[in-house]
Amino acid sequence: MASRGLLLLGQCMPCIKQNASKIRVRRMELDTNLNMYFKKDTFFFAHDPEKVCKTGDVVLIRELPERLTRLITHKVEKVVYPLGDITDPISGKKVVVGKYREDIEMANQLFGKSEKAFDYDKAPPRGRLEGTKDFTHGETYIKYHEDGKDQPFAV
Amino acid sequence: MNKLLNIAHAVPRQFVRDYAFKSDLKIKWVRPEKISCIKPEKSGDLGKLPPLNPNELLPDYKDSKELANANETVKSMFLLRNNPNNLTTRYYRDLMIKEVQRHAQDYGSMEAKLARMTALIRRFQSHMEVHPRDKMIKVRLKEMIDKRKKFLKYLRRWDYRRFEWILEKLDLVYKPPPTKFHWITRKESLQKLTDIYCEKIKDERLEAYHKELQEQQIPFLEDAIKKMIFIRQEQIDCDVPVTVTEEQIEEARQQLAQLQELREAAAAATRKQSDETFH
Repeated sequence: MASRGLLLLGQCMPCIKQNASKIRVRRMELDTNLNMYFKKDTFFFAHDPEKVCKTGDVVLIRELPERLTRLITHKVEKVVYPLGDITDPISGKKVVVGKYREDIEMANQLFGKSEKAFDYDKAPPRGRLEGTKDFTHGETYIKYHEDGKDQPFAV
Repeated sequence: MNKLLNIAHAVPRQFVRDYAFKSDLKIKWVRPEKISCIKPEKSGDLGKLPPLNPNELLPDYKDSKELANANETVKSMFLLRNNPNNLTTRYYRDLMIKEVQRHAQDYGSMEAKLARMTALIRRFQSHMEVHPRDKMIKVRLKEMIDKRKKFLKYLRRWDYRRFEWILEKLDLVYKPPPTKFHWITRKESLQKLTDIYCEKIKDERLEAYHKELQEQQIPFLEDAIKKMIFIRQEQIDCDVPVTVTEEQIEEARQQLAQLQELREAAAAATRKQSDETFH
């Protein structure tokens, strides 16, 4: 079974395991009673010691010849679409929602770009605010106990 | 738990659990205090609006030459603090939008919208502190906080680096919503705390056992080397086939040396750390 080296496309989810990423593969399942399709999630743990994929990235994972641990059955092959940094596969340009980044930039230049405005060239890569202002790299929970310590992931 | 085990040991028949089962572990549960959703610690606002300069004029009359030459009474009529509150709100709103907008005419981009909402939210929050029973503002405030959170969610999906930049610029904290909503109950919280307690005990015991085994490593190797040398000598003396080679003994010696080195390094590190904490 395991020798197939099956490739799967899924989305990276927040995960506390070290050296591994939790990948969600979402498929549609037919409910024969209602004759309707419903979402069905399968979770895989992919070996990822360098933590190349971050929460929300769409990644390709490959099945390992034999499972590494009890949980880890796959390895991360490639990050296909990093979250919030989409490249149009046809033209190869960066996209934000329905527009090319360079079109937005051109409009800004025509209107007279503000000094304080956001600049892609100066912006550092994703992940610098993890744990200080951006808590999307972990799972949040509803606060259930007051222990006097700081609970960053409690909502 | 221990009480139950004692009973179970004393009575060798099948143990039946009572109705209200209570654990006798010393776990104290403190219910977290409810924080109102309009409070800054819940809405994610770390920063506050800058204090208002008492001599700030109305923005429309800022560059007026007549006002600059007018007398004090006239001037005071054009001070921001002597005018309706909503003008101050507008002043703050424009101030905040100017910080993030893409160009001078930009009021509709996601950054500008977020800045506008943040200014209003902070203004409303300070209003709610003074007038806690103002329900109209409370509703508007809550709706706006939720909307801002939604917009932040979108921006994160569209353009991650811009999202981080805006978090830093507006001094906001973004926490994704929990996957499942549930009410906080004593039973469930105690279950979770008990799980954590058990995990901790498990880890501690495993760690202790690991240490114990590690301590046995060096004496074991020393003993093994001695025995191997002895067996080899005996086999040579008695003219029976030699099963223990020189390489095996050398390998064991190397292992021992490595281990001793490691232990000494670890001991030195802990000694240094304890010295630092002591001073």
